[in-house]
This record gives sequence, C-alpha cells and structure tokens, in this order.
Amino acid sequence: MKLSKCLKHALNMMIHSKLRSWLTIIGIVIGVSSVIAIVSIGEGMEQSLNAQIDDLGGDILTITPGFSRSGDKHFRYLPTLSTQATDDETVLDRSDIQALKGIPDIDLIDTQIRGNVDVSYRGETGSLSLTGVDQKVWSKITTEDIRDGRMLDSADQNVILIGASLADNYFDQTLGINKVINIEGSSFRIVGIMDDQSTNVIMPIQMAYQVLDDKEKDIYDSIVVKIRDEENLDVVVEKIEYKLMITRHVTESDRDFTVTSNVQIMEMRSEMMSSVSLFLTAIAAVSLLVGVVGITNTMFTSVLEKTKEIGIMKAIGARNRDILTIFLFNAGLIGLVGGIIGVILGIFISEALPYLMGDLTLASGGTIVSLNVVILALSISVLVGMFAGVIPAYQGSKLKPVDALRYE
Amino acid sequence: MEPTDTLLNFENVWKIYQMGEVEVPALQGIDVKIKKGDFVAIIGASGSGKSTMMNLIGCLDVPSKGRIFLKGQDISQLSESDLATFRGKTIGFIFQQYNLIPTMSAFENVMLPLEFQEENDSIASKRTREILEFIGLSDKMHYLPSQLSGGQQQRVSIARCLVTDPEIILADEPTGALDSVTGENILKMLEKLWREKDKTIIMVTHDLNLAKYANTTIELKDGEIIRIQDG
Ligand SMILES: Nc1ncnc2c1ncn2[C@@H]1O[C@H](COP(=O)(O)OP(=O)(O)OP(=O)(O)O)[C@@H](O)[C@H]1O
Ligand SMILES: [Mg+2]
Repeated sequence: MKLSKCLKHALNMMIHSKLRSWLTIIGIVIGVSSVIAIVSIGEGMEQSLNAQIDDLGGDILTITPGFSRSGDKHFRYLPTLSTQATDDETVLDRSDIQALKGIPDIDLIDTQIRGNVDVSYRGETGSLSLTGVDQKVWSKITTEDIRDGRMLDSADQNVILIGASLADNYFDQTLGINKVINIEGSSFRIVGIMDDQSTNVIMPIQMAYQVLDDKEKDIYDSIVVKIRDEENLDVVVEKIEYKLMITRHVTESDRDFTVTSNVQIMEMRSEMMSSVSLFLTAIAAVSLLVGVVGITNTMFTSVLEKTKEIGIMKAIGARNRDILTIFLFNAGLIGLVGGIIGVILGIFISEALPYLMGDLTLASGGTIVSLNVVILALSISVLVGMFAGVIPAYQGSKLKPVDALRYE
Repeated sequence: MEPTDTLLNFENVWKIYQMGEVEVPALQGIDVKIKKGDFVAIIGASGSGKSTMMNLIGCLDVPSKGRIFLKGQDISQLSESDLATFRGKTIGFIFQQYNLIPTMSAFENVMLPLEFQEENDSIASKRTREILEFIGLSDKMHYLPSQLSGGQQQRVSIARCLVTDPEIILADEPTGALDSVTGENILKMLEKLWREKDKTIIMVTHDLNLAKYANTTIELKDGEIIRIQDG
C-alpha cells in the first residue's frame, strides 16, 4: 500500500479512536509546551542580553552596602536583599561619594534609593517599587530608553518616569505624558515612559526622600558609577574596593559593601535562566517519557481492538509492512495532535512567563516563539509518537491472518 | 486431467492443532485437486475440518505436514509479502460474518483491496463504482456497514471480493447469517459469476440445498475426505 494511503487509513483510525485513548497524549502536551517555553525564553533572553551588552552595560558599576560571605554569589548580586540584611552601620553615604570622586577612572556618580510606595490614580491604588535617582547623572548612565516624553531634568521636582507596563495596563486607564498620579499623598506628573516591561517609578532622589519616610537623607541604597574606559573594568573594580575599604575602615575579612558590574548582573541572569531552563528541560524529558508510555499503552490497546481488522486486511492482501506502517502513522498522528496542543499551550506559557516572573526580569527580553521551535517541537512529538508505537505496531503486523480473523 | 487445468492441489495435507498436551488433528492426509472453473461445495458435520481446509486454500494458514500448490506454485516457498500479494490478487474471500471494516463506508471497504495492490486512484475508484453497480448497491455506496442490512453487507463483501478480479472465490458459509431467501439470492449471484465470469468457486456450506449449485461436492468427516461427487 502506498504511504499516502497508509496515512489516510491511519487518520481514519485516529478519528474513530475512543476518547480515553486521547488522555494519553497529556504527557506529550506537557513535554512539548515545556520545550516551547524553554526555547522561547532562551531566545528572548539572548536577544535582550545582547541588546544590553551592545548598548552600554559594560562600563556601569553598582555599589551596595552589605557583603555576603556565604559563598553563594547569587546573594551578592541581589542588592535589595543585602540592604535589608544590613544594620545601621553598614550604609552608603556622602563620605563614600567623596571617596569615589577621588578615583579618576570614574566618570559619573549616581546615588539611588529604593522602596515600595502606594500609588493611586482615579480611585485605583497599587503598591509599586519606586527608585529615587540623582536625575542629573542618571539620565546619562541609565540603560533605559525613553519610549514617550523625556528623561528627568536637573530642574525637575514633582515629576516621574514610569515603566511601560505601568503606563499601558496597570490601571484601567492608560497613563500618558502629563497625567498626574498620587504617590503616598503627593501629586506627581508623568514626564516620560520608559521602553521596558516594568511597573517601576523613577523620580528625583530629593523627592524620593520625602515620599519614602523611612529613608534617611544622604543615605543611599546604592551608588551607580560610570567608568571612563570599559576596558579597565576589572582594575577599576579593584581600585574602588581598595579605596572604600580604607575610607570605611574595613578589611577584606569584614568588608561591608559590594561592587557589582552590569556584566556580572547579566551573567547572574543568564545563570538563573539556565537553571530555569534545566528545570523545564527535566519536566520536558519526564513528560515526553510519560508520553511514550501513554502512547505505547494506547497503541497496544488499539492493536488488540483491531486484531480482527488486521486479519481482514491480511486476507484481502495486506502485507505485514502495510499493517506496520498504518499503525506507526497512527501513533505518529497521535503524537502530532499532542504536539499541536502542546505548542499552543507552550505559546501561552511563554507569553505569560514574563509577567509571572515579574520584577526579577529574568525574561525581561520577553519571549520569542520562532517558527523553527514550533517545527522542532512538532517533529519531536511525531517522532516520540512513532517511537512509542514501534513495538505494538510490530506485534500487530506479525499476527497470523487466521488467528487474527478468529479474534472476537 | 491436464495438469495445466489444475488450479489447486493438496498433497497429503495435515493440520494438527496443539491444545496444550493434546494434539487435535483437524485434517488428516488430504489429497485433492481442484480444476480451474470448478464450483466446489465442501460439506460435512461441524468440526469435520471444513474451515481449516478453507484457511489453507486461502493461504491464511500453513499445513502441519504436506504441500499445497496454487496455480502450480508451492505456497510454502513464498515469502510473507509475496504470499500476501499473491493472495490479494488471486483469491477473494466471502466470510460468514461479512467482515467489513466498521469505520469505512461500503465504497471504502470495496476499494481497500485495490489500495493494498497500489492500484492508481482513478482506476481503483472507477472499478469500485462498477462493481457496486453490478452488485446493485450504487445508491448505498457511502453507507457504513452498520447502516446496511445483513444481505446488503454480504453483497458489499462480495463486491470487495470481486473488485480485484480474483481467479478463486472462497466462501465459508456465505449464507450462514442470512435468511433462506436472501441466502438463495447470494448463491444465485455466485452461480452467475461462475457461469458468466468463469470464476473458480469453493464454498463451505451446511445446507445441502445450496450445495446443489456446485458442480463438485467434497464431503469431509473427522478431517478426512469421505466422498467426492461430480455433477
Ligand atoms: N485454532 C484452533 N485450535 C485448536 N483446535 C482447532 C482450532 N481450529 C479448529 N480446531 C479444531 O479442528 C477441528 C476442525 O475445525 P473446523 O473449524 O475446521 O471445523 P468446521 O468443519 O469448519 O466446523 P463448523 O461447521 O462448525 O464451522 C475441530 O475439532 C476444532 O476443534
Ligand atoms: Mg467452520
């Protein structure tokens, strides 16, 4: 029998198969959707990393109070965690700025504070993260691009920049330029919207001190510096660490601050990404295995149910090879259906993931579902289906015609 | 008898079923020749080995001992796939229980053997249409077997058997599931095929009235031929 005819009969068989046999495709569905999610996040990640590294990234350093000696370097890179963990003595203040100003390799110094604030707009409220920045410097240092409006200006007072997600879909009504929102009881006018996916609010640091009343003036949560020559990054990091250890009267062993480069942050992100990927890969592998077992089971049942039909087909001239092909195609089609559902689910997951991951911005580049991934996933599911069908199909094809015909 | 005339030749054919420890001899040294153009009725009591013999003739099973020649070809010498092709082209089956594929329409059921022979689509569907017309079922082509009466289903199965234009038609109790009038009609149809299309027909039946349509009657008892009657 021609392959096209085998496919036709396999399809006919699938259309008439019982509902319960469809439940066995769940393994394939989960496996394939994981594959789609992994690859699409990976691609989104790669694109955003590349974009950031290309843009600037490399010449920016962030100094935060606190230092982790646990050996787990992830903690070092999470400034907010360290800040919360520090007591009153380990803070960054003007003396640190003075010390940094003495290092000629540093071009610009920005001071920042950060906290959560209640924001309200036309009766709706929400808790958002606020960053106060030294606006004169920040606009020159930041990696953010402005989508609408403008950057902060040195003369600015009651104005803010907001993230695109906050602008577009946080409140019922979208927030545009010159809209006024209320933050902790004071009114602020939006002058710019950043080209990102965040719900962050950026404002001049002097205003932030007023809004965040637990923050003490001239105490900073982080200091961001831009160095003159990207090539010297490692040397400058050492110089800063050396100088700050002297001015803060600490040694290597009781160091109380951390210098992080954007490059390191990106490395951390990609490290976290790869552990997420690993996790999803494990899910994918396990589910595909479950899928194989499920389809194998379905196929055994199906061969058994169709024993008589196999006998009839053999009596009217079917060769073992024809029977084998029909059942293999049937298994492949079951896999394909699982794959298609999996792809759809996977696209949903990868669309939703950036939101689920929120401010960790693991998937800050969004996710990219490419045609290649879809084709890859569908081929995997067809192959998995066929692989699962090999043994049952072979068994069916080997049935003796007389025995098969006798089966009721 | 000219050797070229012989379509089917059983040489000392035995079929022994193994039932655990016990050996059940279903056929015991059958020697018989069937000529091209014969209409043979195989009769005998239940359990006498009629179906076993039909299965061997139809190459659905292999003998425990002895040799079977079909069109001069020792069928034990053929590979699985050659045997399947040979069977598909040479032999048409009509079963007592019709044995149609329940998920396929009458048309699809009839066309199926041609698909196994890799006949090209337009020829296959033309031929299928002609046969269904010949059998008087062109108006029910797209019905599923479950939507047809027993007699109609049996006609579909006859159409499926004829579509490949086989030299031999094997029918194991073709009327066993039908009432006597419908059964008689099926038999008339077979007789017409035998007379007009020159087919060789081998039929198993319980019904001696139906056996009269045949020109040769073979009677089995306990796996042995006890009588061959011509005319
Ligand atoms: N697969 C089998 N395994 C064991 N014994 C079998 C098998 N098939 C047939 N037999 C035995 O072989 C003998 C002949 O069986 P067969 O089916 O050929 O009889 P039959 O003449 O067709 O009977 P009926 O008229 O009832 O259809 C019987 O004794 C039966 O029990
Ligand atoms: Mg029988």
